[in-house]
Amino acid sequence: MLSADEAADLIEAIAARQDRAAFASLFRHFAPRVKAFIMRGGTDAEAAQEVAQEALIMVWRKAASFDRSRASAATWIYTIARNKRIDLLRRSARPIDTEDWLVVYAPEGEEADKSVLAGQTYTRVKELLGGLSEDQLVVIRKAFFEDKTHTVIAEELKLPLGTVKSRIRLALGRLREALEKDES
Amino acid sequence: MSRHPAPDELLLDYAAGTLPEAPALAVALHVALDPTARQAVDRLNAVGGALIEGEAEASLGDIALERVMARLDGVTVEPRTAPAARRPGFEWAPPPLVPHLRPGMGWRRILGKFDEIRLDVPGDAYRVSLLRLEPGHGLPKHKHRGYEYTVCLQGGYTDETGSYSVGDFAIGPGAERHEPIADPGEPCIALIVVEKPIVLTGPWGRLFNPLVSRGWI
Repeated sequence: MLSADEAADLIEAIAARQDRAAFASLFRHFAPRVKAFIMRGGTDAEAAQEVAQEALIMVWRKAASFDRSRASAATWIYTIARNKRIDLLRRSARPIDTEDWLVVYAPEGEEADKSVLAGQTYTRVKELLGGLSEDQLVVIRKAFFEDKTHTVIAEELKLPLGTVKSRIRLALGRLREALEKDES
Repeated sequence: MSRHPAPDELLLDYAAGTLPEAPALAVALHVALDPTARQAVDRLNAVGGALIEGEAEASLGDIALERVMARLDGVTVEPRTAPAARRPGFEWAPPPLVPHLRPGMGWRRILGKFDEIRLDVPGDAYRVSLLRLEPGHGLPKHKHRGYEYTVCLQGGYTDETGSYSVGDFAIGPGAERHEPIADPGEPCIALIVVEKPIVLTGPWGRLFNPLVSRGWI
């Protein structure tokens, strides 16, 4: 296992000195996870592996843009993998410029606004997800794993759109409350 | 906190990467201007991070790592990406909008009432425009057949549903008629993403679709 701090150190080592050993460690930890994550949506192993490899190469290229005070390594790599999935799978006919999506757009004048989640470990967020009801969790998982909008999720679950919206709002409300409590 | 935030389900679609590019641009602008929305998206991204971290430790095989390592020689570690610089004449445009502003783009007067810049965002299902209204001026009363997403980028406007200022997000389902009017002060500039109506088929389609796609009927 790789702790959140260790993973962040590895990304910073790539940024500072193009550290190939650091890259290899990150790759061994994250590439299989990204591949497994992408496959949950029904993507075949080969395409999922390509997303994982391309995502990790992007981690190398963009290592200097990683900011550990804003996001954990896993969160940052998630956003890269998400964009690669969009590029390579969903919009394969027309690759978009992933780089545009990669920049984290901070509201201006919000210098002090550092994410409370940066220091959060996987365990904490997992714990919070565990606190959600099964109904709420199903919707969240479908969005992330199966690459579906809330409208499509409502159709699939044969639920009124309003029901799906309120489940999402309750789930996000619970996450917000719990994380704000952590912060104070 | 914004008085008119984007709804949570849209932020979830955005963070999960499932939102088509045009509405995703509207959400990106809202997030760039509204700290509360950004925190919400940060939290959702952290959920994505936790889900990735929670995946099993399967191996990709050493060959995959070797191949990728061999490719790294041709890939530069780039300096930190700075947000896109403000474009002269478009100082009000937040960074996510800047790549969509092409050289030579300018305001076009529509019906003698307001100015428009049509943006070329990939995807056929949406029409994406920047609209500029002088204070006290409004858009003609109109009705939409699909969803309409609006983000206020400069000044403010008021319609039947409330007053909107910079960073505010509005989402309107089709049937509502509304008549936005720009508030006093500087001209109101907003990004509007309109879901296009269903394209007509059959012999009449060829005649009417150009009008439909321009939102005229």
